[in-house]
Amino acid sequence: MNALLRARGLTKRFGPVSALAPLDLELGPGQALAVLGPNGAGKSTLLRLLAGLARPSGGVIEIGAEAGNRAQRRRAIGLVGHATFLYPTLTTRENLLLTARLYGLDAPAERAARMLADEELLAVADRRVGALSRGLAQRAAIARALLHDPKLVLLDEPWTGLDARAAERLSRRLEALRSAGRALVIVSHDLARVAGLAARALVLVRGRADWLGGEALRDEAALGPAYTASVARLEGAA
Amino acid sequence: MSRNTSLLRATSVALAACALLWAWFAWRAPIDAMQGPIQKILYVHVPCVVGAYLGFALTAFASGLYLWRREERSDRFAAASAEVGVFFCTLVLLTGPIWAKGTWGRWWTWDLRLTLTLLLYLVYVSYLLLRSFTEGSERAARFAAVYAIAGLAVIPLNYFAIDLAAGRTVHPENLGRGSLGAGMGAPFALGMLTAVAAFAHLLVRRLEVGVLRGERDRREAESAREEA
Amino acid sequence: MSTLVAVLWKDLVSEWRSRDRLVAMGVFALLVVIVLYLAAPPGSGPEARAHVPGLLWVAWSFAGVLGLNRAFAIELENEALSGLALAPVDRGFVFLGKALASFVLLLAVQLASALAFALAFDLDLRPVAGRLALVAALGAAGLCTLGTLFSAIAVRTQYREVMLPLLLLPLLVPVLLGAVRATNALLLEGTLPWPALQLLLVTDGVFAIVSFLTFEVVLDE
Repeated sequence: MNALLRARGLTKRFGPVSALAPLDLELGPGQALAVLGPNGAGKSTLLRLLAGLARPSGGVIEIGAEAGNRAQRRRAIGLVGHATFLYPTLTTRENLLLTARLYGLDAPAERAARMLADEELLAVADRRVGALSRGLAQRAAIARALLHDPKLVLLDEPWTGLDARAAERLSRRLEALRSAGRALVIVSHDLARVAGLAARALVLVRGRADWLGGEALRDEAALGPAYTASVARLEGAA
Repeated sequence: MSRNTSLLRATSVALAACALLWAWFAWRAPIDAMQGPIQKILYVHVPCVVGAYLGFALTAFASGLYLWRREERSDRFAAASAEVGVFFCTLVLLTGPIWAKGTWGRWWTWDLRLTLTLLLYLVYVSYLLLRSFTEGSERAARFAAVYAIAGLAVIPLNYFAIDLAAGRTVHPENLGRGSLGAGMGAPFALGMLTAVAAFAHLLVRRLEVGVLRGERDRREAESAREEA
Repeated sequence: MSTLVAVLWKDLVSEWRSRDRLVAMGVFALLVVIVLYLAAPPGSGPEARAHVPGLLWVAWSFAGVLGLNRAFAIELENEALSGLALAPVDRGFVFLGKALASFVLLLAVQLASALAFALAFDLDLRPVAGRLALVAALGAAGLCTLGTLFSAIAVRTQYREVMLPLLLLPLLVPVLLGAVRATNALLLEGTLPWPALQLLLVTDGVFAIVSFLTFEVVLDE
């Protein structure tokens, strides 16, 4: 398998505190990985390391087949974080236009327009992001992350703030991305939604990892108990 | 730990030896005809200047090394060197005006060297404040390193800038070979040596404190984790 | 290069919409003019007049710092700065875009306050207008290059508003000394001394290079 994402011995320390114990991770095209765990477990830290926002204290991260330079790696990644990364005084369209320019996309105006249409954001295209509701802002953030068609999509609690219809549309969008060969890493508390998407799950408790796969990820009914058991195991081992 | 202790001992010995020799020669040195006994404070002042600028050069160098290699010990060295350097700089700014009042009759003038040293002091203080007020040791190390390098680039520029602005300098010109009275060469030279020895000794001590702090933080974090 | 334009455009458009930086800087500079007028009115003789160039630069420096503080404050909302950090661009050009935006704003404020100064102190700036603009621009450039770098640093420390002037002012001395000397000569003698200009050019160059190269590291988390 041609791995899109490979991490070996990944660790992160904040001063004396270890946020992530050495972690190995591999993800190929068309694969989705769920990252689960209680608050403060290190899930967001992991995502930011993979996105290249933070440097690992130890270990190696490889994105794409060849080593590539920093710019290539960044181009391959799309991140939906806790914050939207959008400028509140610019309109939705202007934010997307800026992103298109920063990522060096051809015909930035058209790309932005198309994304606005795809995400059903045309109604608020020319409204300032600062004036958008939380749900709409979240959708705009997702639009921003996917605009340059990244090979690896990292999402941190993406369903937060979305209404049922938008949440369902996001799930379908992510499934479509996965089928089209993109790799996904999704941090979420929503076990029902990730069970449907991901074939594997990484459970993090205080920086330590446990893996779940196969039958456990079949649906929420299976994932729930498996997850609880994992957490208990990791906490017990402390 | 043993390596540090032997280093500590070595610098202590070197410092003691230099300091004794220097003190003896300074005491025995002739009293300056024009300036009187207060001139002797220069035997402290000038060596401290060496310490102050040495400290900054080392900090900037260690900062560059840190940004390149990202090794924690480079950052520890930069922080330690800055703290020792600022100590010497404080001494310069204390002894200088004392001497100035005794000889020129004024505590302070805005001449080239004084102003430059004051600015160096401000850069030091800003550097240390930046370190304290940045959350996250990695971020603090990175930001401080950038600042130290910017500082290194600017200090020489400051020299030309103040020279341009002030024109004439009131500061005594650097003592050439002949301008020192007989018997004054030795204490100055020994003073420089003592300053370097003192710097090295204090640096080693401060580095040790840094290492111990790191260990304490690690242990505290681990025990906090156990309790959670 | 397109990164530079994109970031510059973003900053200027944002600023145009809210105008908070421009207003703050402009009002501040105007206040300084008024205070100085009260402290040393035009009739008070050549001694007081001699201080005008230096005071002009005090006004401009502090207005500049005021604007620079805000330059990265806007990036903190919604973590927009991380958005820039994620982009596959040479971060040096992000730096240039932001520095240029601050530079443009400061130039505008400098122009307005220079006019106010001329009016208040009854100065005829016309014979030296071009050269004064050059000196003002060079000084502003120095301020905005190092200032943008340190603003990016200061905005993520605990006392961000205080941190920026603390970091910036000691290192800004060469710029300020060169600029004040040049302005002094221009206003009082009508000449532009080459050494001062040289100092400004060299310092601006050093600042720009150091900031451009180190910005990569500063934009990390």
